[in-house]
This record gives sequence, C-alpha cells and structure tokens, in this order.
Amino acid sequence: MGKVKIKRKSTLIDMTAMSDVTVLLLTFFMLTSTFLQKEPVQVETPSSVQEQKVSDSNVVNVLVSPHGEVFLSVAGEADPDASVAYAKELNPDMSAAELRKEKGKWASDSVRKDAIMQFQQDYNETAKNKVQLTVDEVAQLAKLGTIAVPFADVKKFLALSQVEQDKIFTEFNKLSDEEKEAYNKNPNNVRVGIPIDTDKGHTNEFQMWMRAIKKVAQGNYPKLNEALVKGEGIAVKADKNTAFDKMHTVLDNLQTLKMTRFTLMTALKSQDE
Amino acid sequence: MAQIEQSDKGGKKKKGAQKKMSIHVDFTPMVDMNMLLITFFMLCTTMLKSQTLKIALPTNEKVSDEQKNQAGESQAITLLLDVERDAKGQPVKDAFGNNKTVIYYYEGALKTDDAGNPHREQLRKEEFLGNENNVQRGIRKILHDRNKKIIDEVNKLKADWRDNKFSKDDEENQRLYEEAANKVRNNNDLKYPIVMIKATPDANWSSVIGALDEMSINEISHYQLENLNNQERKMLGLPLVDEPAKGGDAAAAPAGN
Repeated sequence: MGKVKIKRKSTLIDMTAMSDVTVLLLTFFMLTSTFLQKEPVQVETPSSVQEQKVSDSNVVNVLVSPHGEVFLSVAGEADPDASVAYAKELNPDMSAAELRKEKGKWASDSVRKDAIMQFQQDYNETAKNKVQLTVDEVAQLAKLGTIAVPFADVKKFLALSQVEQDKIFTEFNKLSDEEKEAYNKNPNNVRVGIPIDTDKGHTNEFQMWMRAIKKVAQGNYPKLNEALVKGEGIAVKADKNTAFDKMHTVLDNLQTLKMTRFTLMTALKSQDE
Repeated sequence: MAQIEQSDKGGKKKKGAQKKMSIHVDFTPMVDMNMLLITFFMLCTTMLKSQTLKIALPTNEKVSDEQKNQAGESQAITLLLDVERDAKGQPVKDAFGNNKTVIYYYEGALKTDDAGNPHREQLRKEEFLGNENNVQRGIRKILHDRNKKIIDEVNKLKADWRDNKFSKDDEENQRLYEEAANKVRNNNDLKYPIVMIKATPDANWSSVIGALDEMSINEISHYQLENLNNQERKMLGLPLVDEPAKGGDAAAAPAGN
C-alpha cells in the first residue's frame, strides 16, 4: 500500500482584491463626508414631516441648549467662486487679477471676523467695561466658529487651551439646573451662553450679535443678506425637551429684531408617527 | 511580507539561465489599515442633513382690533399645548425625565359665566397620535375634519401635479401646482379654520413643532403662535400675569407657507 501523501497547502489568501474594495469604500467615504460640527451642547431636534433641507452656507445658526443657553454660529458662502461671479456681473470689465482677489471673499472666516469687529464696536459704545480684542484674538474667535460665551469673558476663554475650552462645556452640561444658574452668576467663571435676558430698554448681547451680523451682511455679503431677509438664513436649533418658556425668550428676541422669518431645525419623520 | 519565491521545479538547473521569480505581496496589513480608516470616516460623518420648518412670526407691533376680532369668529380653533400635570399642577415626569404632551383645544370664542370666569368644560383634551393605517387620530383628526373640504381640493391638485397635468416642464408644474394649492387654502368660501397655537411655559419644544407640523399636514395656512391670556391661564391652573396693554405677540397674521 502506498502512503497517502498529505499535500501541504499554503494558507496564504490573496488580499489584493480585498484591498481594492476597501480603498474604493474609503475613497467614497472621504469624498462624501462632511464632518460633524463641534457644538457646545448636543441637542436632539424634534421631528417633523417637512422635507426642506437646511442649507449649510449663508446661514446663522442659533443653538439653544435644553436649559436655555444660547449659542451663535455663522457660516458664509461655501463656494469660493460665488463672489467672483457676482463681481463679474456687477462689473464685466474687471481684469483677471482683480477677479482673483474676489475669490473666497464671502468665506465663513471673513464673515465671522467682520461680525466680531462690528460687534466689538457696538459693544464698547454702551458697555462699562470695554473689551478690546487683538487681531490674533479676533482670528482665533472666528476660527472657533461658535460664539459660546459672553463677550466680557471672551479674552479669558481664548486664553485657555482647546482641551480646557471643551472641558468648560462638558463640565457645565453635567451640572443640575440650579448649579448652572449659580455658575453663570459668578463673574469669576467663564460663563456659558450668550446673554439673552430681556431687560427693558437695554439691548442684550444676543440682539447685538444679530444686529452686527445683519449689518455686515448688508454691507459686504449680499448672498447672506438675501438669505436673512428670506428667512432661510436663520436656523433655530433646539432640543425637543426644551421648555417653551426658554424658546419663547429666543423667539421674542428675534421678533424684537424684526427678524420674523426664520427656520426651525427638525429631523425627518413619516406622517404615521 | 513581500516574498520572492524561487520556483525550483524540475531537478535540472541550467547554469546561467535566469531564475523565475514570482512576487507575492501580503496585503493583509494594508486591508487592516483601510478598515480602520473606513470605520473612522463612517463614525465621523453626517449623512443625514437636518430638515427645516419655515416659520414667519408676526412682528412685535400693535395690531388693530379688527384683526384680533377675526379670531373670535366661528372659524377659530385655539390649541393650548401643555404637559401632563399632577394634582398640584406640577408637570409629571417619567423615568427618563420627559414630560408627556397634552393638547387642550376649544372652538370659537371663550365662553365665560357671569363673573367672567371661563368654563373649564369647554376645553377638550387631545394628543398627538399621527396616523394609523392612513386614518387620522388624535388632534390630527379634529383638524382634518375641520379642514376637510380644502384637504380634498388640495389632494385633487396633488394628483394632477403627480401626473404633470399643469405643465410638462417639472419646475413649471411645481410652480403652478403651488399657486393653485395656495389659492385653495386661502379660499374663504371653503371656511378655512384659523388656528391659534398657544403653549404654556412648561410645554415641550417638540409639541410646538408638532403643532406647526400639523398645520402643514392638514393644509391649514392660517395659524399663529400666540401668548396665553389670563382666561386660559385660569383654566389650566397657571399663575396669572399682567396682561400687556399693547398688542404684544398677539398679532393676527397668517404665518407659514
């Protein structure tokens, strides 16, 4: 009898095809992804059957936390060529060099910088303790994207490292309602949220911010201004469990500003729910 | 990783002949790394964009009495958004700290007794229940029944719109449909309801969105967000407030759409 020879097979699997597939998938995800925006609080929006999508360019986002703190962020035009096309239409004789300068003029960064400068000017006209940001600090604040602290605390906030800044919000979100109020009353803390209390005959910081944004939009950013007038330019985002009296304050403030057209952010649901 | 295998088939080897080499590269680590990257991108992306609900609030200015009186007519329905309360009037919270939304509604003007106190009985209680098997339930049924004529008309137009009957061009079709639908919604011969949405301070934001959403589901184009008045506060057992002398938020302007 002959011996049964067990053939030694190599267990190597050719991974080339697998690698091809994963690279394709990776490319797909890289191209389609828009990163989650970092927000000071996580909110779960209520759902509605509306199918209109929120735009992510030329919009002012008003984020309201469940406890009623208000945060603002502004986004400019995402397409850097939009301002070039606009300039060309206004003045067809522009040279190529001049047009190049127009490129990216409406970017988020420049809208934010302008708005911050405008706000600072308005703020210092009335405030007792004036706040003067350096050019670096303005750039830093614009880069953050979200205005999350009272203007009086901005310098203190910007002096912190990014980790410490994030920690302020995470720690704050852990507090109970009473503790949050106590925290925001202490001027030694970096307070959280833009002041929005309705003192009679006194414009609060929220209104000043909105006015400043409106003013710079009217001056230099026709697309943003158009969106603000139409109402697509203001998006209010709030948690579904936020009590109505908190939202009422925000809506009241917008009414006082005569910004009566705006959009409310919702998640999608079907009619049966 | 990358192995270069020498084939040594056949015993005889000619001297000087080139050795046949086959190159195998092991792609396993490459796949590992790619998978990690894919996981990262999958977790960090937002595929779903938020939806938005358009709203137009009336301005904060004084409103003529005439506009206010409109609300007292038979067409008016007032929705009072509130949360479930215990005997002491405190909101009841479930294990997760969430409230339960309750809607009270009354039709027409508020009826009061001789002393000026409103009857609690005229408030009826409903909930947001949505549809079940295409049958409206809860507050949606109430609003649906009130606006039935208009909904039927708009549904007819919708069917035409689906068949591109207004125009062959898609955009033109959409525009003409919206124009026609708006005309129907604002046709006073069909007795459209005027809905007043009022929320108590404790009401959830989701209930307000829900109420606004019901307006668009039921093709109601005449609605407004208002403040509670003291009569209504009395009925709901809320503390009374000084009524503002000026028009305040209580403006009557068709919002939305």
